Amino acid sequence: MVESRFDKQTECLTIKIRGRFDYSCHKSFKDAFTTLEMAKSYEVDLAEVTYLDSSALGMLLLLRDHVGGEKATISLTKANDAVIDILKIANFHRLFDITG
Amino acid sequence: MEQVLTILVADDNPSDRTLLKAILTQFGHKVITANDGQEAVDKFDPQTIHLVCLDVKMPYKDGWEAALEIQRIAEGVFVPIIFLSGVADPVALSNCLRVGGTDFISKPYSPELITAKLNAIARLLVMQKTLEEQRDAMTLYNEQLLHEQEVAKVVYENITHSNCLNDPSLSTFHHGSHTFNGDVILAAYKPNGGMHLLLGDFTGHGLSAAIGALPLADIFFDWTKKGFLMRQIIPEINARLKSILPTNMFCSAAFIDIKVNDKTIEIWNGGLPDLLFFSKNGDQPKRFNSKNLPLGVLSPDAFECFVDPVSFLPGDILMAFSDGVYEALDLSGDMFCNSALKPLYDGQVESTQALDWLVDLLGQEGVLDNPHDDISCLNVCLDTSIGIGSPEGEITKSVDQAPADFSFEYALNADSLRNTDPLPYILQIITTVPGLSGFSSQVFMILSELYSNALEHGVLQLKSDKKSSLDGFSNYYEEREQALANLKEGYVKICVKVASDHNKRMLVLYVEDSGPGFKVDSISYDISNTELLYNRGLALLNQLCQKVEFSRGGSAVTAYYQWHID
Repeated sequence: MVESRFDKQTECLTIKIRGRFDYSCHKSFKDAFTTLEMAKSYEVDLAEVTYLDSSALGMLLLLRDHVGGEKATISLTKANDAVIDILKIANFHRLFDITG
Repeated sequence: MEQVLTILVADDNPSDRTLLKAILTQFGHKVITANDGQEAVDKFDPQTIHLVCLDVKMPYKDGWEAALEIQRIAEGVFVPIIFLSGVADPVALSNCLRVGGTDFISKPYSPELITAKLNAIARLLVMQKTLEEQRDAMTLYNEQLLHEQEVAKVVYENITHSNCLNDPSLSTFHHGSHTFNGDVILAAYKPNGGMHLLLGDFTGHGLSAAIGALPLADIFFDWTKKGFLMRQIIPEINARLKSILPTNMFCSAAFIDIKVNDKTIEIWNGGLPDLLFFSKNGDQPKRFNSKNLPLGVLSPDAFECFVDPVSFLPGDILMAFSDGVYEALDLSGDMFCNSALKPLYDGQVESTQALDWLVDLLGQEGVLDNPHDDISCLNVCLDTSIGIGSPEGEITKSVDQAPADFSFEYALNADSLRNTDPLPYILQIITTVPGLSGFSSQVFMILSELYSNALEHGVLQLKSDKKSSLDGFSNYYEEREQALANLKEGYVKICVKVASDHNKRMLVLYVEDSGPGFKVDSISYDISNTELLYNRGLALLNQLCQKVEFSRGGSAVTAYYQWHID
C-alpha cells in the first residue's frame, strides 16, 4: 500500500509504503510522484516495509530518473535491517541517502 | 431475443406432448418428440439439440434418470433441461433441480409462462455460447502463446548456452519460475587459457526479464573470444544494458575471471549475494560481497569497476547464487539468508558437496515446488587446467590471401597504458594471417605474457617475488592498480613481424619497455617448479616459442614463434 504526503513548507514529498514493496505497488508508487508537481526533496518512508524485491529497486530507479537522475535528492528512511541488507547488496547507498 | 431453438420434448401423455409441441412450434422453434425417457436419451444429440423438456413420470426411464444420462452424453456442452410436471409437490420439484434441471413448467401449460421461460432460457444459451467462444479463443491464444514462447525459448537457450558450461570444473543449478528464466549463467574459455563466467539475474521474471540476456550474452561471448579483459567487458555490458533497458530494469550479476597462469581469480560482484570462496585448508568460506551497482543502472561515465582478486590452489571452490536462493522462504516462512544458509556460511558444509547440499535444502524446504523467483547457483572447482588446450571456437579456413609478410609497430605512452588494453586489437590483426588463426590461443598467451611483463616489471617496476605468497598476490594487485593510475611517464612498444619462407612461417614479437631492465641471467625457465608463482610466465614463453631473446639489458624481449602451413 502506498501513501504520499506533500509538505508545502519544506516542499518535501514523502512516499510511504506499507507491507511488501513489490510489483503490486508499481502503479500506485508511480502515481505518487508523477501526479504531483516537482518537489524540492523526496523521502521514501520504509518504516512499515517488510520486504522489498528487485522490482521495488527498479521503482526507486524510476523515481530517481523522474526527479533528475544524478541531481536527485532522495532519502530512503526508517528501513529495517532486512531491507537495508537488500539495498546494500544492490549498492543503492551510492544512489540514495539510506537511513535505518 | 429471437432465436430458433431445437427442442426435445419427452412425455408419455400424447395430448400434453402434442400441446407443448404446438405451443413451441408456434414460436418458430423446431420440436423433436419422444414417448418415454429411454427414447429421449436415444434421440438426444448435444450437437443439434439446444433444450430438453422431460416429463417427470414416464415409463422405461423416468425424467430424472433420463436427465442424468442426457447430461452424461452432453459432456461439458451446456444443454438446459426443463421438467414438466403435473404435481406441485415441493420435494419432487426440488428433486428436479437437484439432478441438474434448469427449471420446471407446471401442467396445465400456460402459453404466457412458457414464452417467458423460453426467453429466459434463450438468453442463458446465448450467454453460454458467448462464454464458450471466448473460452475457446482463450485456449487457442494460450496455446499459440506457449508455442511461440517455446520457439523463442529454443533461440534464447541457443544464444545463452552456446558456451562451455559442460566444462568438468563447473556445476550449475538453474530453476525457473516461468517458461523463461530471468537468470543467466554464461561461461566462455579465454583465448589465452582460463575462463570467464557470469551469473546474472535480471529484474523481474519470465520473458521480460529474459530479453535483456540476449545482448548480455552476445557481448560476453564475442568480447571474451576476442581476448578482451573482464575490466573491458563489464563496462561495455553495462553501457549496452543501460541504453536498451527501461529505467526500472537492470541485471544483478557476478563476473568471474579465472586466470590459470598465475592461479588467481578476479571477482566482480554487482548486486548478487556474497560469493563464497572455499579454500581447501580453510574452515569458513571467504565472502565476496557486492561492491558495485548492478549492470544497466549507471551511465557509462559514472560506472566504476570494483574487483576483488584472490589466489587459488587447485581444488579450491568458488560458489555464486542469485537472490532467488538468498531470499527463498523456508517452511517456517523465514528467509534463507537468515537461518537456512548459516551452515554454508559457517563452513559446516563440505565444500565439494556445497551445491548438492544447497539444492537438497531448496527441495526440502519446498522452494523448488513453488519458487517465487528464478533460482541459479554456480559452483567452480578451481584448477590450473581450466581452458587449457580447449578446442578453438572455429578454425577459419582463410584461404583468401591475407598478407603473409608484414610488420607493424604499436607504441603506447603512459596515457594509453592507463586507459587501454592493446592486445585484442593486435591479436585481431595477427590472426588474419593464413594458418595462424588456429594458433590464436598460443599467440595470445605469448603476447599477453610479454605485455604484462613489460608493463608490470618494466614500466611500473613491480617486484614479481611479491607474488610468491598467496596473500601477497592481492597486495601485488592493489599496488599494480595504484601504480598504473598514477603513471605519468613510460612506454611500451610492440613490434609485430610476420615472415614467410615457402610453407614455413615465422611470427616475431618484439616488446620493449621504458624500464631499467633486469639481470637476464637470473631467470629460471624451469616450468616444473610450480611453487614459483612468478616465474611461470617466462617458463611458459620458453616452451611455446622457438626462441626467446632479451636485449637492452632486459628491457626488451623478442619471441620467435614458428608454424607450418600445408
